[in-house]
Amino acid sequence: MTEKKFGDYIINVDNICKTFPNGVKALCNFSTNIRRAEVVVVIGPSGSGKSTFLRCLNGLEEIDSGSIIFDGIPLDDDKNNRLKIRREMGMVFQSFNLFPHMTVLENVTLAQQLVRKSSASVAKSVSMELLEKVGIEDKVASYPAQLSGGQQQRVAIARALALKPKVMLFDEATSALDPEMIGEVLDVMKTLANEGMTMICVTHELGFAREVSDWVIFMDEGRIIEGGTAEHFFSDPKEERTKGFLNQIL
Amino acid sequence: MRKKRFLTLTDLLVGSFLLLVCLFFVYRVKVGLNYNWAWDSIPQFIFRFDKENNEWVSGILMTGFYTTIRLSFWGIILATVFGVISGIAKTSSILFLRWLATTYVETMRNLPPLVIIFIAYFFVGDQLLAPLGIDDWAETFSPASQNILAIVFAKPGYLTSFFAALMTLAIFEGAYITEIVRAGIESIDKGQWEASHALGLTWYQQMRHIILPQTFQRIMPPMAGQFISLIKDSSIVSVISIQELCFQGIELMTSTLHTIEIWTVVTLMYLALTLPCSLLVERLETRLNLSLR
Repeated sequence: MTEKKFGDYIINVDNICKTFPNGVKALCNFSTNIRRAEVVVVIGPSGSGKSTFLRCLNGLEEIDSGSIIFDGIPLDDDKNNRLKIRREMGMVFQSFNLFPHMTVLENVTLAQQLVRKSSASVAKSVSMELLEKVGIEDKVASYPAQLSGGQQQRVAIARALALKPKVMLFDEATSALDPEMIGEVLDVMKTLANEGMTMICVTHELGFAREVSDWVIFMDEGRIIEGGTAEHFFSDPKEERTKGFLNQIL
Repeated sequence: MRKKRFLTLTDLLVGSFLLLVCLFFVYRVKVGLNYNWAWDSIPQFIFRFDKENNEWVSGILMTGFYTTIRLSFWGIILATVFGVISGIAKTSSILFLRWLATTYVETMRNLPPLVIIFIAYFFVGDQLLAPLGIDDWAETFSPASQNILAIVFAKPGYLTSFFAALMTLAIFEGAYITEIVRAGIESIDKGQWEASHALGLTWYQQMRHIILPQTFQRIMPPMAGQFISLIKDSSIVSVISIQELCFQGIELMTSTLHTIEIWTVVTLMYLALTLPCSLLVERLETRLNLSLR
C-alpha cells in the first residue's frame, strides 16, 4: 500500500465533556484532531463513550463543555452552523434507521432534494450511481423491510454518501448484522477508505481496524487511554488496560 | 392462533339462547305492548311526493340525515386539523406549546360534552359568530350560490348556529385526536429522528417527510374509530336545535307518537353512516398488519 497523504486538520475536538442527565459521565476532557483522508477507528469496551463521541461530532448529543470545530465551523448553539456541519457529515447507524415508508431510491434521493435542492433527475442519477457502488442497484424499488440487514446497511451508507459529505461517521455499522453479512458492509467501507474518504468508525471489527485504519483510538470510561497507528497499536500497546482489552477479544 | 371457522357446541347453545331472547321480545311486542303500529306513515318522512311542484322532495328525517352528514364531514376535517396541530404541539420541545395543548386536551376530556356544547354554543355562537353577521351576509348572495351554500353547509339563517355547532363538535373531538396523534408521533422510533437529523434536515422537513407520513400510516385505525365516534356524537348538537337526524327524530316523535318506527329508521340511517366506516377500519387494520409483517 502506498503511503497515504493526509491533509490539514478537518475536525478539532478540544477538551469536551459530556455527562448524561442520569449522572453517567460519558466523555471527560476528550481531545483529538482528525486530518482529511484519515481513517480513525475508535475501539473500547461497551459504555466507554465511543458512540457518544461520534454523536457529539454531528450534534446528536450536546456537549457540556469544550469545543468542536469542523472545517472552520464551530459546533455551537447557532442552528445554521449545526445544520451546515450535519450536511457535511454522513452518519451510518448500528440499526440502519432507513426510512421504512420510502423505497430504497427515495431514501437516497430525499436529502439531496431537500438539503442540496438538487433536481429530481440529478438526484436520481447520483443515487443510482451510489447504489451501484454499494451493490444494491437491482433493489432500488424495494422497501427497506424487504432487504436483508447487510443490504439495508449498504443502502444506509449510500444515503449518507448522497450529500457528498466530507466526513463519514460509522457507529458500530456491523454490530447488528448476521455474521455472513458483515463482510459485504466492511467491503464497502474499505472501498470508501481507499478512495480517500475521511472516516471515523466505532467498531468491534479489529481485523478491519488493522487493515484500513490510519489511527486507532482506545477509549475507556470516557477518556482516550491510548492512540496510535494500527501497526503500533496492535503489536505494541503501551497501556495495561489496552493490553487487557486486546487480550480479551483477540 | 388460528380463528375457528366452524360452530362448536358452545356457539350453538349461546345462539339458541339469543334466539329465545329474540322470540320472547317479539312475543312481548305482540301480546304485551299496546302499540298502534303505523309503518305506512313513515315513508313520507323519508321522501315524499310534492304535488304542487310535481317532484320528489326529501322528508323531515332525510333532511336531518343530510345535516348529520354535513356536520360529520366538516367535523372530521376540522377535528383532524385541530388534532394534528395540537398533537404536534404536544410533542414540541417548547414547553409553552406543550402546556397549551395539554390544557386544551384536559379541559375537553374532563368535561361532559353537553356542558361544552352549551358553553361553546352560547359563547361562540352568540358572542363570536353572531356579530360577524354571517347570515345577513349570506342573504345577499345570488340564489344559485345560496343553494350551493345550503348544500355544503346550511341555509342562510341557519348558518351561525351550524358553524357554532360544527366548531364545538370539532374542538371536542379534536382533543381526542390530539392524543391519537401524539401517541403516534411518540411511537416513531428515535432512530428516524436521528437519521434525518444526521442528514441535516430541518425540523419542518423531518416532520413533513419522515415523521408524519409514518405517524399517519400507524394511526389510521384509531383515527377512523374516532371518526365513527364523531358521527355518533354529532347527535349531541340536537340540544342546541341543530336540525340533524336526532333532532328531527325527537320532533317527529313528539308530534306523531310513532316512537318505535321513527327510531328504527333513525337507527338504520346512523348505521348507514357508521358501518361503512367500521368496515373501512377493519380493512385498514388488515392492510397495516400485512405491510408491517
